[in-house]
Amino acid sequence: MSEIGVNPNQKGFLIDAGRCIDCRACLVACSVQNEVSNTTTRIWIKETGVVGEFPNLERYSAPYHCMHCDDPSCVSACTVGALQKDENGIVTYDADRCIGCRYCMYACPFQVPNYEWDQMLPLIVKCDMCVDRLAEGESEPACAATCPTDAIMFGPKVDMLAMAHQRIEDNPDKYVDHVYGEEENGGTATFYVSPVPFEELGFPTTESTLSPAYSNRLITHGTPAVAGAVAIGLSGVYLTIKHHEEAMAELRNDALAVETDQPEAEEPAAETQESDNDQ
Amino acid sequence: MLDTKISRREFLKVAGVSAGALAIGHMLPVEVAQAAKEAGLLDASGTGYIPTTCEMCVWRCGVRAKVKDGRVVKLEGNPLHPHSLGHLCARGQAGLMNTYDPDRVLTPLIRVGKRGEGLFRQASWDEALDLVAAKMLEIKDKYGPEAMVFSSTHNLSQVQFENLLNAFGSPNYGTQRSLCFNAMIVANQMTYGMEEPARSYADLEYLILTGRNLMEAISTSETSILSHAIDRGLKVVYVDPRFTKTAAKSTDWCAIRPGTDLAFHLALLNVIVSEERYDRAFVEKYTVGFEQLAEEIRPYTPEWAAPITDINADVIRRIAREFSDAAPHALAHNGWRTSNFENSFQTERAIASLNALVGNWGVHLLPAAGEGAGPLGVPPQPPYPRASAMRLDGVPWKYPLVPFKLGVFQELRDAIITGKPYEAHGWFIARQNPVQSLPDRGRTLEAMSKMDFIAVVDIFLNDTTWFADVVLPEASYLERYDPLLVVGDKVFIRQPVIQPQGDAKSALWIYKELGKRLGLEDYFQYVDEEDYIRQQLAPLGVTLQEIREEGYVQLPVEKRSEIEYEWNTPSGKVELFSSTLDNAGFAALPTWEEPPRPPAGKFYLLTGKVGRHTQFATQNNQLLHKYQDEPRLWMNPVSAKAMGLADNDLVKVTSDVGEVNIKLLVTQAIRPDCVYLTPGYGHLSKGLTTAYGVGASDSVLHVTFTDQISGGQALSQTFVAVQAA
Repeated sequence: MSEIGVNPNQKGFLIDAGRCIDCRACLVACSVQNEVSNTTTRIWIKETGVVGEFPNLERYSAPYHCMHCDDPSCVSACTVGALQKDENGIVTYDADRCIGCRYCMYACPFQVPNYEWDQMLPLIVKCDMCVDRLAEGESEPACAATCPTDAIMFGPKVDMLAMAHQRIEDNPDKYVDHVYGEEENGGTATFYVSPVPFEELGFPTTESTLSPAYSNRLITHGTPAVAGAVAIGLSGVYLTIKHHEEAMAELRNDALAVETDQPEAEEPAAETQESDNDQ
Repeated sequence: MLDTKISRREFLKVAGVSAGALAIGHMLPVEVAQAAKEAGLLDASGTGYIPTTCEMCVWRCGVRAKVKDGRVVKLEGNPLHPHSLGHLCARGQAGLMNTYDPDRVLTPLIRVGKRGEGLFRQASWDEALDLVAAKMLEIKDKYGPEAMVFSSTHNLSQVQFENLLNAFGSPNYGTQRSLCFNAMIVANQMTYGMEEPARSYADLEYLILTGRNLMEAISTSETSILSHAIDRGLKVVYVDPRFTKTAAKSTDWCAIRPGTDLAFHLALLNVIVSEERYDRAFVEKYTVGFEQLAEEIRPYTPEWAAPITDINADVIRRIAREFSDAAPHALAHNGWRTSNFENSFQTERAIASLNALVGNWGVHLLPAAGEGAGPLGVPPQPPYPRASAMRLDGVPWKYPLVPFKLGVFQELRDAIITGKPYEAHGWFIARQNPVQSLPDRGRTLEAMSKMDFIAVVDIFLNDTTWFADVVLPEASYLERYDPLLVVGDKVFIRQPVIQPQGDAKSALWIYKELGKRLGLEDYFQYVDEEDYIRQQLAPLGVTLQEIREEGYVQLPVEKRSEIEYEWNTPSGKVELFSSTLDNAGFAALPTWEEPPRPPAGKFYLLTGKVGRHTQFATQNNQLLHKYQDEPRLWMNPVSAKAMGLADNDLVKVTSDVGEVNIKLLVTQAIRPDCVYLTPGYGHLSKGLTTAYGVGASDSVLHVTFTDQISGGQALSQTFVAVQAA
């Protein structure tokens, strides 16, 4: 949000739940592109499931990955600088710096950072907008490039946001009047339009994603000049975690299992978040 | 999540290790990386993109394969290819995992245990091919060439497979066609004189999809084009007993009773004719039999169809009116096989007639562009010997209208069992899995047990390979050349993007080497794969190097001619009344055939594709496995409740020919009188370490029913009982 218009190189996604057919080409493409282990994933499908009573039914779905927040909570929470926001707005991840503390998982209001529960020295797994792929000259991340229905679009962030609003304006009967990602967590680089309210797709609500980044930053970076900031910050962290856990409890099939280190916790991380998408 | 057998990043490290690599003949694979560097496709470090053609399904998308250090690391859709339009589906994206699957067979194998025990020893190509040739010649000498059955499924090297069987002299050839689209193809031939007219979605306003689940049975370009058409306002009527992902994108979902698609379409015809909503000019000028059709369909009113189909008469009438109002921008899609009942042929005839009545020819239904050899050259060869005997599959002596090319595979299998009209003794199978594809797996295994000898060409130990005596390992589609493919006005290449792993060889090489040992060398007049393609390119004046670099060559574009209004039928017109059908003693007009219904206490067993898999060929792919849902048996909650069954209960499903155990999925997305089982699971082969033990096989349950006109198998005409296991 704050950086729109400042840096024209900022990239973003527009994802249309009206177009997604839950084919999961994006999921496979991401795994191949980024050599993601078969036991974890950087990207999921969120979906309503089959809603209604036979024969009056509907279902919607959308791919779900890092939102690339304007002011990312995970970056603030990361004590070792493994997570960074780069000049193009991409929230990057440096495995060499990561110590596997999982603070980012607590901090992220979207439950995006995933964990290698099956590894001896587990690290975080997270969408980095295929930053290396873009650096090699490809025009789109792997998910957007392959999407057979162009449900995932990629381009300058300002254009994606404008297109999102345009779609709603052009089809007010088709889409709910909400560009998800515009305000959530203080603004992101991933915008969604949807024919159904985002809560029904299993997305965190707007309220649960008000940016906790500021309070986190007080703790992790420290600002001694501000008396009492530490105390405020601590309460901020507490509230963030508490809030986060409440939000997570609301989410169906949440994969992160923040309360446990048990790798055998059904390993749902590599599953799509709905196990019955085909069905 | 389904268990995975290979860990982090290892799938890119699995190397083709093989014992005793033998170099025989001069058809050594080219050094792919070196050749690609010389072609400018790879940089000095061996990194870059090589254009080729996907083989994860039969749609054959164009691919840009990213290669790094001699390994393929990523596949991209080729934006220049009309089948991919720059995209790939999940299967296409996962293609490299097929190549690097640790379950690959990378050396010839000779069986040492009992059939089906899975015990093989490694062998050299010389030993394996000598053995296959000796057995085939022994069978030919003892029983005649007709005692060797050949079967293979849709692939680019099929032309040389057919060359092998024709040169050998056997009339017995089994393909997947009768298990898939015979009804559609024969109906189009009777009506339009062509296998399948092309479709155009440009400016289309109204589309009827009869069981054509394009959002899950994905054909990348068509799925993409449909999605964009829906976005711009295309109205879609989707007819299916299941609420599929296509149903979810449609304007109308008609939860039709299985087997009654025909009644629905006859009622559409009835409304369009009785309300004079047809394109009079087109019908008068370009069709024959309209008066007879009008008479035939007079009884088929929406009120007649409603209790049969469970679709409200008002809805049928509305759809018929909307469809004809949108004409000529209206299209009834012929799908692959519609309802999969014996009456599917009549359904396809009704769909073909519906398109003709609204005059969409030349607008949304077009002359087939045709894939195939086109203007390409072919290696010279002597004429084939006369077929030595009548065909075991009953074409044409039992099925007079079934084209030789299509055949009736399930009938061939049954003839092997009965030994009538004569016995078969050997089976040569390439890239096909009849154990899973044919209905009634028990009978297919029985047929295999009758064989003195079975040889299989494949890249895996699939369920059929598992029962082979000799396994000939083929190079994967990323490791080999295949014959060129003409799509529209372009010629596309499939070329190796990496070296074949282990001892794997291309089908072109295998058939030639086997042909040589069978004394059929004159039929395989190409030095190697590249020479084969050079001979294909010769008439175009294009070099191999040129097509390798771009991945395709443009054919000279002929001046676009006007759409012709002449069809390859006896009358030269669109035949609503088919004289061919009439002469053969079949109904000459689309007519109602009452489908059987399940007896009390039984369900219709439905089949249908999922977006992650191609039939039964991809379940072992670890990347697809990773993102696949556990296959379960769908049942409507009303039925589940009545039977005291709950979600995830283990149930026993029993048909007239078999039974399986599977977990239940209770879902609103299916009619209460139906169950649905995800196809392609329940593998027998323990050589498929990822797929083995997952799900249940619907081939175990499917009863064999053959449509007498088209020879098509009626895959959904099986009824099952379900009970707690």
